[in-house]
Amino acid sequence: MKRLRIALLLMLCCFGREADVAAMSTRETIEYTLPRVVKLFGAGGLRGLAGYGTGFLVSKDGHIATAWSHILDADRVTVVLNDGRRYEAKLVGAEPQLDIAVIKIEDLTGELPFFEISSAKSVAVGQRVLAFSNMFNVAAGDEPVSVLHGVVSAKTDLAARRGAFQIPYDGPVYIMDAITNNPGAAGGIVMTRTGELVGVIGKEVRNSLSNTWVNYAVPIPELTKTIEAIIAGTYVEDEKPDEDAPERYRPLDFGLVMIPDVVFRTPAYIENVLPGTAAADQGLQADDLVLFVNNELVQSARELKRALGALESGDRFEMIVRRKNRLITIQLTAPKKTDQ
Amino acid sequence: MIPLLAARQIMASLGNRVCILASLVVLGCSASFADDVEEAEEKAFREAAALAEPSIVRIQTVGGLDRVGQILAAEGPTTGVVVSADGYIITSSFNFVNQPTSIVVRHPDGRPLPATVVATDHSKMLTLLKVEADDLTPAVAAPAEEVRVGQWALAMGRTFDEQLPSVSVGIVSALDRIWGKAIQTDAKTSPVNYGGPLVDIQGRTLGIIVPLSPQGTDEAAGVEWYDGGIGFAIALADIQRVLDRMKKGEDLHRGLLGVSFPGASGLLGVDPTIDRVRVNSPADKAGIEAGDVLTKVGDVPVTTQSEIKHAMGKYYAGDRLAIVVKRGEKEISAEVDLVAELTPYESGFLGILPTREPTDEEGVGIRHVFVDSPAAKLGLKNRDRIVEFQGTPTPNAATLLDLVSRVQPGEEVSVTWSREGQQETQKVELSAIPSELPTELRSVPIVPADDAVERPEVGHFSGTIPDGEMTYWAYVPETYNPAATYGLMVWIHPHGDTMEAAVLNKWKTICQQRGVIILAPRAESISRWTLPETAVVKQLVEKFIEDYSIDRQRVFVHTMAEGGPFALQLVTKDRDIFAGFSGIGTPLRGKLPENDPEFRQQFHFVVGANAPLKPRVNASVEALRKLKFPATLHEVEGLENGTYPEKTTAETLAVWADLLDRI
Repeated sequence: MKRLRIALLLMLCCFGREADVAAMSTRETIEYTLPRVVKLFGAGGLRGLAGYGTGFLVSKDGHIATAWSHILDADRVTVVLNDGRRYEAKLVGAEPQLDIAVIKIEDLTGELPFFEISSAKSVAVGQRVLAFSNMFNVAAGDEPVSVLHGVVSAKTDLAARRGAFQIPYDGPVYIMDAITNNPGAAGGIVMTRTGELVGVIGKEVRNSLSNTWVNYAVPIPELTKTIEAIIAGTYVEDEKPDEDAPERYRPLDFGLVMIPDVVFRTPAYIENVLPGTAAADQGLQADDLVLFVNNELVQSARELKRALGALESGDRFEMIVRRKNRLITIQLTAPKKTDQ
Repeated sequence: MIPLLAARQIMASLGNRVCILASLVVLGCSASFADDVEEAEEKAFREAAALAEPSIVRIQTVGGLDRVGQILAAEGPTTGVVVSADGYIITSSFNFVNQPTSIVVRHPDGRPLPATVVATDHSKMLTLLKVEADDLTPAVAAPAEEVRVGQWALAMGRTFDEQLPSVSVGIVSALDRIWGKAIQTDAKTSPVNYGGPLVDIQGRTLGIIVPLSPQGTDEAAGVEWYDGGIGFAIALADIQRVLDRMKKGEDLHRGLLGVSFPGASGLLGVDPTIDRVRVNSPADKAGIEAGDVLTKVGDVPVTTQSEIKHAMGKYYAGDRLAIVVKRGEKEISAEVDLVAELTPYESGFLGILPTREPTDEEGVGIRHVFVDSPAAKLGLKNRDRIVEFQGTPTPNAATLLDLVSRVQPGEEVSVTWSREGQQETQKVELSAIPSELPTELRSVPIVPADDAVERPEVGHFSGTIPDGEMTYWAYVPETYNPAATYGLMVWIHPHGDTMEAAVLNKWKTICQQRGVIILAPRAESISRWTLPETAVVKQLVEKFIEDYSIDRQRVFVHTMAEGGPFALQLVTKDRDIFAGFSGIGTPLRGKLPENDPEFRQQFHFVVGANAPLKPRVNASVEALRKLKFPATLHEVEGLENGTYPEKTTAETLAVWADLLDRI
């Protein structure tokens, strides 16, 4: 069975790519991409905030997509093309939830080359990529932006914080093994070696799960609709969802008395199980450690409170506890609440 | 099976980048040649990852600290690698740096499995976990002899996505790094893949990714290099060699030999001549002596200290190691059993003070017997003379001290003494040197010298060391008699102030009563001492020992406040000269010496009862006692920083100085 699985994976790897006939070479990819990536100069330059950034052309009329950042706080943003031509651009629209903004070059004569964003596809882990950005403003003159090389390390959901704040975007991202996310790189573009559009380089953020700086790009398909809507002028910002976590149920509602939550990561140990309750019927005992609620790891008493709080009336859910070296799975139902 | 075999062949050829050309020509690939190479490589990365994937597990933890030192502990999942089908998983110790309450391993099929820590390798920073499972896929190790610098290396972790491990591509940058322990790679390593495998292009595991640093030794050392192009992995083949030991629950530690080499840093010094052999260490037990030159560790010939450190890096405590040393022209082979920790040496204590006046009588005269000491248990009294210790004659105090120092507390010894012409021998258990001072100690009266006797300079005077590099002041009691023996107090002044008047004022009468000479060098720049000045001070002290009648057991450094670090330097560098250290309001900073029966050293601290520095002084005393040094602490009410204490405190200090020759 295992062999078969490996063989299948290999076949996928081997043949999946060979169907791609129109693939460009690395050189062609770079030649294609550089005229479509622009350097941006705007607000900032103080307190360690870079006054420069990166964007990429998404229409022949000079629409440029970039990261939603402080450099757009200026009245006008200066755009520098790869050949040194300079333009002024104005903000058209932005979606902070997706960390994306669109600006447009004013007084453009003629047409500019641009990316067909609707053509972007998803890429696989291990695939070679090229990242284009105005990182560190190192391309200070009339030069094109820098190109980095790496592979796609992983595709995952972003769990990141920037400074002390979580950044709003928490959707899928590609993680690269090149150090792509540098000052000024946000809004840059990631391409496959063979010329396919992959994603938009994000800001410098730390991964809150591993406390490391993370090099990520948002897949273009996540952004296509929003960018197109902003260009068309039909975009309406969604109402922000309610941030406060609900607290519909407490451990006590199931007959569980937890040990006092004293430190940041107090483990969710059961101190006592009230007799005659659902938890007691299911055989839970004092000193059991709650590990999972509906297959989600419960790292602390606080997380258990959150997981139970989010249940809806009548929800059936699975709880896994650790008793010495055994895992015990039980089923519980959130009691009906009449006052809802 | 055919695609699998074909893929393996391609990958094998890719492993050797010379063969790549051949295989591509054979495959008949046309178009742009470079692109085909890139395409083939990219394919190989993904195939290698797919082959390694089944052995990579995700680890989750519950509870634990949220902050470890300066680092915010991460709460995300980490990675481990299966090393046997029956549920053993090896991972980086870094992943448990926050001491979690519970560990869960995710079976590659998604099942959560409770895990227990079986053993930890403290040398290579690995932790072995056990889960209840019998269907795991162990990682295949790349044979050590095939690993080459420059070959592809993929760093993999299972932290981002549970289904598909993450991949970072690089090459093997170096072998045998961090003292022979690790493979170095430029693939990006970080908490995202610590504990995961470093995989070769054929999907075999080169090693387990860990943070390491050439200097630091704790779990988090080396993390600061994450994603920096300097990553490390412990060769899986090396891990497999010790896996059975770890499976039995044995924690592994770096193996220590118990020898040291000249030169403090050890890395810059090249001379592999053994400087010192720790008493009771493996080297000592194997008969290695100071002055031997280490020439072979295991089967590796060594000529420098760093080669020795490199060769020792892969050995663990408990390993039996063959070494070869050269003693003169002779080659000596020895087998040593390495240990994890060198136990500090503690000297035994009999409990007497020897008489100081010269005499023609045999043995060592007794001037004082300490209460509750082994000597008191034997019923020894003042004016008794100890003539034999363990059957060895003791013609003088130095011989007796040397014999007693080489016996550890708790050991039974036989002592022979004479009293009014009668000899008696009895056995007694030696104790440790007490950490309390006796409240009173009678001083030894000194008969003033005849006026006719020729004497060097006495009284309070200043001088310059002959070559003119350093000035000093000194006080020699006016009653100085060359026929008696004196203690020598070397006063190391604090920054900016020689405190000549204050020290002389408090000590003058004490010096006369207890027979102490003060020697006080001045730093070239009064504002601070510099390290090279230790040599000049040493020269000055040696001159005084030569010119005056000084008891070598009672030469001690006395200092205050910022003079402490320089004074500690003197004491640790010239152990044959300084028998004691006494500091006022100064905790010890820097590396402490180790206790050695050959050079007994004693410590005394004075600190204000409410001084802000008190906890640090207490810590110094504790650290010294842990190293089995005799260390006493005198807390003084109302003693303020920067002022020399009252005379009563100096008198207590003088009592300590007066029993530096206790045996």
